Amino acid sequence: MKHLKSFNKKAKMLDQTTSPDQVEEVVAMQTIVGCTSTNDPGWEVDPFGGLGSLCQPMESDLYGCADACWWPAQVPDTMSNYPDWSQDVSKANEDWRKLDGIFPEEQK
Amino acid sequence: MKLTLKIKAAALIGAVSTVALMSGCSMNPSASLNGMKGDGHEYLLTVTRPNQLHVIDTETKQVIRSCDVPGVFGQGTVEPSPDGRIAYVGTNKWEDVAGFDITNCEMVFFAKQSDNNVTVKSFVSLAVSRDGKELYTIQNPTRKLTDRYEVMQPQLAVYDTSAGLDAKPIRTFPVDRQITKIMAMDTGEVILGGNDLQAINPQNGEIRMLSKLQHWDRPGDKWVQPDAFAMHSLGEHVDEFIMPYFTIKWNGDPGDMEKAEFWWGMSRVDLKTGEVEQTETVPFEFIVFNFITDPADSNILYGAFNTLSKHDIREQKTLAVHNMDHTYYNLNMTQDRTIYVGGTSSDISIHDPETLEKIGSIQLPGDMSTSAMRIAYLK
Repeated sequence: MKHLKSFNKKAKMLDQTTSPDQVEEVVAMQTIVGCTSTNDPGWEVDPFGGLGSLCQPMESDLYGCADACWWPAQVPDTMSNYPDWSQDVSKANEDWRKLDGIFPEEQK
Repeated sequence: MKLTLKIKAAALIGAVSTVALMSGCSMNPSASLNGMKGDGHEYLLTVTRPNQLHVIDTETKQVIRSCDVPGVFGQGTVEPSPDGRIAYVGTNKWEDVAGFDITNCEMVFFAKQSDNNVTVKSFVSLAVSRDGKELYTIQNPTRKLTDRYEVMQPQLAVYDTSAGLDAKPIRTFPVDRQITKIMAMDTGEVILGGNDLQAINPQNGEIRMLSKLQHWDRPGDKWVQPDAFAMHSLGEHVDEFIMPYFTIKWNGDPGDMEKAEFWWGMSRVDLKTGEVEQTETVPFEFIVFNFITDPADSNILYGAFNTLSKHDIREQKTLAVHNMDHTYYNLNMTQDRTIYVGGTSSDISIHDPETLEKIGSIQLPGDMSTSAMRIAYLK
């Protein structure tokens, strides 16, 4: 970034969001709820490098991740973007097959 | 004339007697509570999809009432009033708060926090003053502009709990970002659980530090700054606020994992006095989402996630571990020390505090997701 110079208002705002002070506000597991981006590994690996400390089975964790926007890349967030995604499926552990995927809408 | 007066008096006495008889049920505490038990009887409260508040009798282990909550399922945060009568529920995509009389499901309070082009989210944060007169949320507002979102200053919002179904904040005060779990203390202050533990005076907005976490004073070459899971409000069964954290102690060079010690720790606040205890508790050997304190011994903690575990923090030892049927996010405990493990999926698992063995289960009609599991002591 040091070789690029921002010249409009939005670019300057982007610069500000990556200032060192802002970066230091981003912490690991603490209070990441709310669609903030995170480098936590998701459902792939646990803190010990294994699988034993991941949520089990995945269905038990599905709504806990969707509602809190915990892994927004892996599961639709019901907090902001897809509130109706799972309204007809009360029990993820029994009816997870009824949950559809989410695809980007076509730009018209 | 005298006769007429006597007749009138007799009629009046009769009418009064009839009213007294008719309203006799209101003199019966059980009837006024719609058949529920008062005197501090413990009722477990939780929320499931599609969006219902459930009231569970801890004596019979039965769901006795399910109240429909308006709006899309939010977060399932529940905060009981001090008299146990009202349950405040976070709903509608983490934006609104609805209060229900748990004896009849009547909605007695509602606060819509978002307005026009400003969306307000409250992450977990929901607390009621110790006298029950005020309700607190942390509002995280975002203004939608034509080309971007403007992240606005988070604030503590204070509501009058008697404001009814169109409640508006009566006071607001700026607070830090990333505050989630909050609780009110007898000091009149509200604990703000976020990067650190702070206490805010909801009368004037003054904030003081209670317990440093992200900004703790320990040297960086000896300790890693703690990482806390600030997701569920817990501790009403022992009148405390508990914030568990994870940290690493470097016995060699920073980053030398061979010599490092991995620890669970906690910041624990006495809600009566505001006194804070911050300490490492037990070695970090497996994941625990939430810890609670044993009401009979404050040195004993129980933790839940893929396991239910029991720990002696004075000895810094894990005493027992029980494998769970599936992941659970949180837990709670009644005064008879029965353990209830819930959150995620659609069942609450009941366990013995000595052996940790499963002794029962409560089936719910929907998924608990991130919901709280709180205890109301109905008076």
